[in-house]
Amino acid sequence: MMIIMKANATPQEVEAVIAKIKSAGLNVHLSQGVEATIIGAIGETHNIPTDLFEGMDGVETVQRITQPYKLASRQFHPEDSVISLDGFSVGGNEIAIIAGPCSVESRSQIIETAMAVKEAGASALRGGVFKPRTSPYSFQGLGEEGLELLTEAREKTGLPIVVEIMSQVQLDVMVKYVDVLQVGARNMQNFNLLRAIGESRTAVLLKRGLSATIEELLMSAEYILAGGNQRVMLCERGIRTFETATRNTTDINAVPVLKNLTHLPVILDPSHATGHADYVAAIARAAIAAGADGLIVEVHPDPAKAVSDGKQSLKPEKFAQMVKQVGQIAQIMGRRLASSQGEYSPLKQGWA
Amino acid sequence: MMIIMHPGAPKEQIKNVITEIEKQKLSAHLIEGVEQTIIGAVGDGHYVAKEIFEALPGVMSVQRISQPYKLASRQFHEHDSVFPLDGFTVGGEEIAVIAGPCSVESRVQLLEVAQAVREAGANALRGGVFKPRTSPYVFQGLGEEGLEYLAEARELTGMPVVVEVMAVSQVELMSKYVDVFQIGARNMQNYNLLRAVGETRTPILLKRGLSATIEELLMASEYILSGGNTQVMLCERGIRTFETATRNTTDINAIPVLKELTHLPVILDPSHSTGHSAYVTAVAKAAVAAGADGIIVEVHQDPAHALSDGKQSLTPESFASMVKQVQAVAEAVGRRLAPVKYGQV
Repeated sequence: MMIIMKANATPQEVEAVIAKIKSAGLNVHLSQGVEATIIGAIGETHNIPTDLFEGMDGVETVQRITQPYKLASRQFHPEDSVISLDGFSVGGNEIAIIAGPCSVESRSQIIETAMAVKEAGASALRGGVFKPRTSPYSFQGLGEEGLELLTEAREKTGLPIVVEIMSQVQLDVMVKYVDVLQVGARNMQNFNLLRAIGESRTAVLLKRGLSATIEELLMSAEYILAGGNQRVMLCERGIRTFETATRNTTDINAVPVLKNLTHLPVILDPSHATGHADYVAAIARAAIAAGADGLIVEVHPDPAKAVSDGKQSLKPEKFAQMVKQVGQIAQIMGRRLASSQGEYSPLKQGWA
Repeated sequence: MMIIMHPGAPKEQIKNVITEIEKQKLSAHLIEGVEQTIIGAVGDGHYVAKEIFEALPGVMSVQRISQPYKLASRQFHEHDSVFPLDGFTVGGEEIAVIAGPCSVESRVQLLEVAQAVREAGANALRGGVFKPRTSPYVFQGLGEEGLEYLAEARELTGMPVVVEVMAVSQVELMSKYVDVFQIGARNMQNYNLLRAVGETRTPILLKRGLSATIEELLMASEYILSGGNTQVMLCERGIRTFETATRNTTDINAIPVLKELTHLPVILDPSHSTGHSAYVTAVAKAAVAAGADGIIVEVHQDPAHALSDGKQSLTPESFASMVKQVQAVAEAVGRRLAPVKYGQV
């Protein structure tokens, strides 16, 4: 950490900062420039907040040099984390494709979708039962009944299920049913929820908040990791910008940046990141080309009648086409789809 | 265009709006709701400013239904625009790879890097001679001297040159030297400049402004197209967001969105859109996978000593490796890299 003193800081103020650094168990490196004095605090600083020094007299600014997260960082864990999930793994050579409806709406809807996405090459099933809808008047999800239906779909297809958890109070019932707990964008900084999930040993898909930086996403992952739950996947799902042509702006940069900073698997959600079914396949291909470890995609048998996210949901046929295209990109990246059983025949026509 | 009236707007105000619609050679379509009246202005209204109606008494808001651009739209021109650029084409099956230094620094630097990028598979050479630098105290470019070096590099390698034009006063001089005018992000809404390059017949690479929406980019291209210059390429180069891990945020959505809305070729600049050489290859691959028609990439033989953009410039070796990977992606989406041209060497 670098503590930059004000140009007029007194020797006493400098001394006080030095004493505080030492009391925090860190070493001091003093550099006196012509205009300003800079004090380096050297040692294990990820657990030392910058505000410890920011409030002191004579301090202009405090800059962190090392990352404020540790367990999530590649320095701490140089090898990619590979998370096994009932029949396949995420973060290794395999590309995971999680697909399903935004919300579980009925037994026939979830079973039909599960079979269709499995057929098309999905490796896991998604479906919301507790829904964080912007309006309190919209459909809020089927709750535990939905979990029962997902379990049935899981039995029929063998696909592990990924379900969003909205609150700590849902944890006990959710861990009985689900293979992966999804933390939605709106809950990325619900720190009590993150701590509670950190105590469980269920795999987690942590989505990036609507206006969260990459560093904030990694700090949220740190909450879960610090509780001892190592099975965390990160998910880019688009961020809020000034652009209105799409629901969100896919931060494709986040994929190589995260792969550089962390060992955790990186998944991309092209459905939310674009908000339009027409753009999902293009962004899904881009994600894999950029190095993502998987995709989570909304699929509905009849998008026009979906109770939520119909505009961004793919029909099963469109999803099957997307999977084929993604498989081609995976192959040239030296990877393969988790669901793939053999070689793909090259598909060269009718793309774009 | 839909003109939404205030609840309880009197009949005279509604009549007044209808008169104005008819004056604009559009026809009015009245929808009387329980609380509010909505008046549809039907016809080719892309040239009618919505401000005309916004200011009328009783009008609550005006919503455009059809696009405010015409020549750039796919409705107007259904098929992809494909145009030749000295030895290859942009917008068709071929993927263009434009590469070179941020700035032309010296004759030796340019000729060396031009040969290196050509060797690695580039089809066109970029190099700035008038530089829009944030600080007025840093290197501003070599000016006409740089254009001479670019002409020499062009002769030596056979590659067409893509050079940024910053002002109307540079257009005449530059059109003698360059194959493609680049309009930089900071000039995307320099309308005088857009009109001036619209009068030329030199192809244009129009970059998206730092905080410009996709619609604003298309409106800027409309300025050029309406002058009769139809050879316009659009370039996504990252937008300004709250994220600080990268210099800009690559709006990868812009690629499929633009390919749907417009017939113009779409190029991506992964150097500016990431700002870090370590992320350029991944984003270049993503661009082509998403359907981009080409990429423009900064390459420098010694990035650590570059006069500008060193942090985001690739070395010729890493550029060569990027080209190979991009080629594999191009093939996976049923396309191929544009052929490499040869000049004197």
